[in-house]
Amino acid sequence: MKQKHIFGGVMVVVFLSLMIYLFTQTNLQYESDFSKVKSKERMIKATGSWVKEKGHETDQNKNFVFTMKDVSGNEMKVVYDGAIPNNFEVATSVVVTGMYRDGYFHAKNILTKCPSKYQDVKDPKSASM
Amino acid sequence: MAGSILVTLAFVLSLFSLIMYYLSFRGAKNTLNYARLAYHGMAMLIIVACAYFLFLILTNQFQYKYIYNYSNDQLPLGFLISTFWAGQEGSFMFWILCTVIVGIFLQSYTAKRGELEPKVMTVFVLTVTFLIAMITPPLKNPFAYLWAEAAFIDLKHINPAHLNLPFIQNFMFTNDSGETNFVKINHEIYTLLANSGISINEFVIHGKGLNPLLQNFWMQLHPPLLFVSWALAAVPFAFAIAALLKNDYSDWVRQSFPWTLTATGLQTLGIMTGGYWAYGVLGWGGYWAWDPVENSSLVPWLIGVAAIHTMLVQRHSQEKGGTGRFAKTNLILCILVFITVLYSTFLTRSGVLGDASVHSFVSPGALVYITLLVFIISFLSLGIGMIAYRWKSLNQFVVKDENLLSRELALFTSAVVVGASALIVLVGTSAPIFGQSVEIKFYDEMHIPIAIIVGILNGLSLLLKWNETKGSEILSKSRNSLIATGIFAVILIVFGKVYDIMMILLATSAAFSLFVNVEIGYRVVRGNKIKIGSYIAHIGIALFILGVVGSAGYSATKEIDLVKGEKQEAFGYSMVFTGFEPIQGGAKYAFNIDVEYGNKKYNVRPVMYISEFNNSLMREPDILQGWFKDFYVAPLGYEDGRAGEENHSHGQEVTLEVGKQVEALGAKITYVEFIRPDMEVMMAGGEFSMGAKLKIEFGGKSYDIDAITKRDGEGLLSVPVELKEANLKIELANIDMTSKNAVLILNNITGAEDVHATRSAEVLSITAAIKPFVNLVWLGIIVITLGFFLSAYRRLRESWN
Repeated sequence: MKQKHIFGGVMVVVFLSLMIYLFTQTNLQYESDFSKVKSKERMIKATGSWVKEKGHETDQNKNFVFTMKDVSGNEMKVVYDGAIPNNFEVATSVVVTGMYRDGYFHAKNILTKCPSKYQDVKDPKSASM
Repeated sequence: MAGSILVTLAFVLSLFSLIMYYLSFRGAKNTLNYARLAYHGMAMLIIVACAYFLFLILTNQFQYKYIYNYSNDQLPLGFLISTFWAGQEGSFMFWILCTVIVGIFLQSYTAKRGELEPKVMTVFVLTVTFLIAMITPPLKNPFAYLWAEAAFIDLKHINPAHLNLPFIQNFMFTNDSGETNFVKINHEIYTLLANSGISINEFVIHGKGLNPLLQNFWMQLHPPLLFVSWALAAVPFAFAIAALLKNDYSDWVRQSFPWTLTATGLQTLGIMTGGYWAYGVLGWGGYWAWDPVENSSLVPWLIGVAAIHTMLVQRHSQEKGGTGRFAKTNLILCILVFITVLYSTFLTRSGVLGDASVHSFVSPGALVYITLLVFIISFLSLGIGMIAYRWKSLNQFVVKDENLLSRELALFTSAVVVGASALIVLVGTSAPIFGQSVEIKFYDEMHIPIAIIVGILNGLSLLLKWNETKGSEILSKSRNSLIATGIFAVILIVFGKVYDIMMILLATSAAFSLFVNVEIGYRVVRGNKIKIGSYIAHIGIALFILGVVGSAGYSATKEIDLVKGEKQEAFGYSMVFTGFEPIQGGAKYAFNIDVEYGNKKYNVRPVMYISEFNNSLMREPDILQGWFKDFYVAPLGYEDGRAGEENHSHGQEVTLEVGKQVEALGAKITYVEFIRPDMEVMMAGGEFSMGAKLKIEFGGKSYDIDAITKRDGEGLLSVPVELKEANLKIELANIDMTSKNAVLILNNITGAEDVHATRSAEVLSITAAIKPFVNLVWLGIIVITLGFFLSAYRRLRESWN
């Protein structure tokens, strides 16, 4: 009976350490300050918004290229290996997963947040006609 | 108004029923009938409120905020019905409807089984009361009026006949770009309109509509299945708390077993219809992406499955009398199933996952957030508190330890492994609350070993007898299955060319459990048909795991540009894009691809369209379904060949102030003068043009041209000018009215034509993927669900005293 408890305990410890190890290995932090995004040399989730004025394009290698800015206005070029996501142009904010390298952000994944399912109309600016 | 009254009355009756049930439980004599009457009265009110709500949706009553936001007058009947659960308020109400109806069955079930009713119904009605509180007027009331809080309604949703009313101008607003106009709807305009004899329903005549992603068959099926299963999840919770209240643990497992099995079975279907939606409609390319929303529905399922295994042990060990093994574990797990359902609601409705999920969740307001938290904390503390309170008496029922090679221990280990999976998913999904997040790899890598152990245990536990088994007996019983597994492994490696050791182990362990279940199941069921359920469910799990190995481990994906009329090949399929055509009355476009595979010809038609609902490009995949593999085609984009001309990015962009000069493409360009728009026409919203007068110097000559942008009914339109002498094309991309700065895009005419020439073909970009054995995933799920229902039937027959 004692042996069984020891065995069970060891299994729990092994499982938990494995989980914590993998958690730290696959952990991605959110970062909304682009100056910090640019200085970190690891995978990160950068949150910000698309700079509409600078447009977006698809380059020769079929990458989707656009510019993002954070709340304080820092801008960053983003290159995403894939097609323009659904909802991109109406997204209120964008979350890109990837790493900043060679002067731009290499995005593996883009997530667009839209004012859709669970939101009411955003208050339009009250510029009365 | 009527709806809010119905809901409020239902809440009051529910509260009354709760008190009466509690008093009955405490021994009061005459209260049980009042409790029942109040419960049924409340149930009727909720049913009537829901019927009324559905009526309001079907008759397009846009004066209700919910209906304006999620419905419109162009939806067909089926989608109008799914509007019911498209938003938070409606889905809460639908969940309540399911719970209330489950309660009617639970009441009659418990009334027939001794003294069960007062204690179980006390707990159950408590959950119902909390849920109804969520939709009462101060919180997420589906019957809230549009004007209760000021709302900005798009002008196109308003009846134009009423726009000439004098006071309307005071409520007109425009957004930043000045393109969309809104009417502010609040109490004030409501009163003014009412004075003119106009109701809001006559004023607002269109709704915003249903999210196009939800407009399909799977979204009509997925939410109802999930909500019914969630409603059922409250039942084992009620039984567990009731047992703790009574401090008697001998019957509750037997009595709640059929409910737990039915709930988990329906959840299986509910989760997978969501998965099929992601695969077949959203075009995610897979059925499971470890998205927080998917995960949060998976956790209660996993805990439910763990509970079923240890409940079985307790049931069995009770046969010798007493409480049985794992009484505490079972209480905790049944409580956790319901708590994780609530937690899942919290994660998906409170806005805490804002950045983490593809689903959009916006905070529903602090009050709702707090109510949800209070809801979870109350039920969690009720559960934990009761167990702590009874801890001493729970520990009095110690049973003799079982042998290492016993079915009891195998079942317990299964529960532990499935529980570990639940913990992993829970940790990963909750991480965003703390500003962390995990990659999908976290879930995948943790679950491969877990699934291998599940496969082995799934087979092994059938070879083990209750109490004790001899090692030699296991070998002799499993000889056939072991040989079959060996053959499977050889085929897998030699013909399937699977060399990844983890994938070999995973597939082999799943195959082992499949063979054992078929063989032993066949022998047992021949003797006693009622036992078929668990074998069916476990065969389903084995098939499911095999399907996942094939479709997730060995799928291949390729991005391809299909030039119209040209043949392209991927994974042995040759494809020719032959053009597109409007479908559904021009609402969508189907892109036709002729596919050849072997000697057979097929046709796939992925769909793309611009949705009016969110003004975005929507894409729907098409799947060529085969017996052994799916060929999956998801559209990415389409270029019609004229795109090259309009593409600004290939030109050189310059910004000029008035009077300044720039050199570009061999020419000197001077911004001479700003061309003023006609202010009066502009203010009146008419057609006007503005731009820049330019002087171009090239090859010693000088030319004057005007770069102009026009505004007509459609919006701003830039008119490119060509100067052949200088081989120059100039386009005014932007001009600022106040600073007068002009942004020009300069191109060589010949160069531009080159671009034009290479792009003149129509190109459809797609992602093509091959999904081996994905059908086993669906088949596995259906078989698992069938197994749950058969077991539930068996346990229902055993639930009588």
